[in-house]
Amino acid sequence: MNYVFDPDNWEWVITGNNLRFILEGFAVNLEIAVIAMVLSMIAGLALALARLSRWTPLSIVAGTWIDIWRNLPLIFIILYLYLTIPGSWPAAYEDAIPSWFPEGLQSGRVLAAILGLVLYNSAVLAEIMRAGIQSLDRGQNEAARALGMSYRQSMRHVVLPQGLRRMVPATVSQLITLNKDTTLVSIVAIQEVVRHGRILTGTNFFGGVQAPILQVFLLIGALFIIVNLLLSRLSRRLEIHEQKRTAVGQVKRVRGLEEQAV
Amino acid sequence: MGDLISVLTDNLDEFLAGFWVTVRLVVFAFVIAMVVGTLVAALRISPSKGLQRIGGIYVETFRNIPLLVLLFIAFAGLRRAGADIGPWEAGIASLGLYTAAYVAEALRSGVFSVSKGQIEAALSLGFTYRQALRRVVFPQAFRTVISPLGSLIIAMIKNSAIIGVSLLALDDLLKTARTVGSRGFEYTEAFFWAAVGYLILTGLATLTIRVLEKRYAIHR
Repeated sequence: MNYVFDPDNWEWVITGNNLRFILEGFAVNLEIAVIAMVLSMIAGLALALARLSRWTPLSIVAGTWIDIWRNLPLIFIILYLYLTIPGSWPAAYEDAIPSWFPEGLQSGRVLAAILGLVLYNSAVLAEIMRAGIQSLDRGQNEAARALGMSYRQSMRHVVLPQGLRRMVPATVSQLITLNKDTTLVSIVAIQEVVRHGRILTGTNFFGGVQAPILQVFLLIGALFIIVNLLLSRLSRRLEIHEQKRTAVGQVKRVRGLEEQAV
Repeated sequence: MGDLISVLTDNLDEFLAGFWVTVRLVVFAFVIAMVVGTLVAALRISPSKGLQRIGGIYVETFRNIPLLVLLFIAFAGLRRAGADIGPWEAGIASLGLYTAAYVAEALRSGVFSVSKGQIEAALSLGFTYRQALRRVVFPQAFRTVISPLGSLIIAMIKNSAIIGVSLLALDDLLKTARTVGSRGFEYTEAFFWAAVGYLILTGLATLTIRVLEKRYAIHR
C-alpha cells in the first residue's frame, strides 16, 4: 500500500507533458468508441431487421452472421483483420480520411480496429434490438396492420419506436463495454491510452522521470471508471426523462440483456 | 482446402495445448468469479448500509475498468511493486475478479426478482430471516439466474482471449493461432481452427445452459 501511494511514485503525473500525453491517448479511445458505436448501431439495426425478415433465407443468413461474430472473441477479430487485411485497404483509408479528422485516427491501422469493433458490436446490438422488438406485444403490430398500415409503416411508426425505447439500458451497457474494448486496439499498435501508458513506462520516456507501471495503469483505469460511471448515470437520467415524457410509467426493460454486455 | 486440413494436422499438438490452456483459464476464473461474486452479492443485499456500499464500490470499479488495464495492473504493475506474481495467477485473478462484478449483479437481481410477498409470507409462517432466504428466496432466485450466468460464462470464454496476446504471454488458443499462422503466413487457416475452438467452447456452454434452463428455469 505504501508503494501505491508514495508521492515519489506519482511524481510522473506532474512531470513534463506526461498527464497530457495520457489524456491525449484516452481521447483517441473515446473517438474510436463514438465512431464504432454509431456505425454499429446502424449496422445492428439493419441486421436485426434482416433477422426478423419474413423472407426465410435472409433471416437465416442474418441469423448465422450475427451468431458467428457475436460468439468470437473481439480481440480475435481485431487481430485477424489486422494480420490479413489486404495492404491496399489501409492505404485507401488513409487517402480517403479527411484531414480535419482527429490525428489519432489518421493511421491506416485504425481501419482494422474499427472494422473489428463494428463487426462484433453490430452483431451484439442486433441481438439486443431483436429482443427489444420481439418483447413488444404482438397486438401492437397486428393493430397497426388492421388499421391499414403496411408492414413497413407499422415497423417505422409503431413497432420500432416502442421496441427501441426498451433497449436503451441494454444499449448503454454495450456502449460502456465498447468503451472498455477500445483498449484492445492497442494490440494493433494504435496510439491510444494503453500504448501511451506503455511508452511512459518504457525506457525512452520523456520528462526525466520513468513512470511506474502500476501507477500509470491505475490512473488509466480511473479514467475509464469515471467516464463509464458518467455514461451509466446519463442513461438512468434519460430513462427517467423518457418515462416522464411518454407518461407510461415504468418502461419495461428487456430482461437478460444487460448481462450480455460484458 | 488441403491447406486448411494440413495446418490443423501439422500443428495439432500445439492447438490442443492452446485449447487446454484456454479451458483451464476459464474454469479457474469461473470458480473465482462465482465465489467472489457471491460474496459481493451478499454484501449488496445485506441489511447494513456500509456493507452495501462496499459491495457497490466493488461492482462499479471492476465493471467499468477495461480487462486489459486490469491485466497490466495485476501483472506488470504488481511485479514492479515487488509482488511475486506469475502470468497464470495474474490472468486467472484478473478475469475472475472482473467477471465477479457481473456475477454479483446477476445474483442480486435474481434475489430481487423474488417478490417481497414471498419473504413476508415465509416470515409470517414463523421462518427466521435466514431460513426464509435459504428455503424460499434462494431456490427461486437460482432459477432466474441461470440464463444471465450462462451469458457471463460465454463472455468469459471470449474475454479469456485477451490474456494470452497481452503482455502475459500464456500460450492460449488465440496466441497459438497467431504463432502457427506467422510461421507460414497461414493466418486464415490458423485463425479458422482457433475460431472453431472458441465456437466449440461457447457452443458447449450454450447447450449446457439450455438443458439447465429446461429443467429449472422459470421466467418472470
